[in-house]
Amino acid sequence: MQGNQVEQDVPLIWTTKGNLPVASLEYYIGWEITDESIVFREQYRLDGEIVKENAHVKLLKGGEAVPETAQFQ
Amino acid sequence: MANTQGISGAAKQAMLAAVTDGKALKAALYLASATTGPTNAAYTATGEVTGSGYTAGGVSVTNANTAGLTGTTSFWTPSAAISFPTVTLATSFDAVMIYSTTDANRSLGVYTFTAQTITAGTLTLTMPTNDASTGLMRVA
Repeated sequence: MQGNQVEQDVPLIWTTKGNLPVASLEYYIGWEITDESIVFREQYRLDGEIVKENAHVKLLKGGEAVPETAQFQ
Repeated sequence: MANTQGISGAAKQAMLAAVTDGKALKAALYLASATTGPTNAAYTATGEVTGSGYTAGGVSVTNANTAGLTGTTSFWTPSAAISFPTVTLATSFDAVMIYSTTDANRSLGVYTFTAQTITAGTLTLTMPTNDASTGLMRVA
C-alpha cells in the first residue's frame, strides 16, 4: 500500500507514449517573436523524440478595413 | 473651421456589429501549405489541419464582446483565448479562420502566426488587446 502511494505521488504527464513521469523527460522551451505574433513553445522529449509539444500564440494585431468615401462629381 | 468628409464612427461600428455582435463563432486552423485568406468568403475544409483530437470546423469562440468605438475607429476581438486542447497536429500550420456559424459560416477573417506543430498537447491562441489599435477586427 505504501509502495502504491509512492507511485501515485510521482507527477505524470500525458504524451504520445502514454502517461510518463515528468522527471523522465527532457524539457525544452523556445520563443519566437514576429510582427504578428509571439509564440511560446514547449517540448517534452524522450530519448530525443518529441512526445509532447504545446504552443501558446499571442496574436499582436488584427486586421483593419478602411472604408472609402466617394467625392460628389 | 472647415467641413470634413468621412464615414461616421457610428456607421463603422454598426457595420462591424452586424457581423460580430451576438454571433456564434468558430475557429479553424489551416496548414502552412494552404492558400486560405481574405478571399475565402466562408469556412472551407480545404487546407484545414487534420489530426488526433481535432474536429473539422475547429472549436467554438467565446464571443461576449460587442463592437466598440474609439474616435472613428470601430473594433472587435473575441472575449477569450481560443484553445485546442489535447491535439496532435503533425503537419505545420500557421493560420486560423474565425467564422460565423450564425451567418452560413461567413468568414470574419484569417489570421496568421509563426508556423506550428502540436504533439499530444494544447494550442492556445491569445487575442490581442481589444482596442482601436490592435483589435482583431477594426474598421478605421
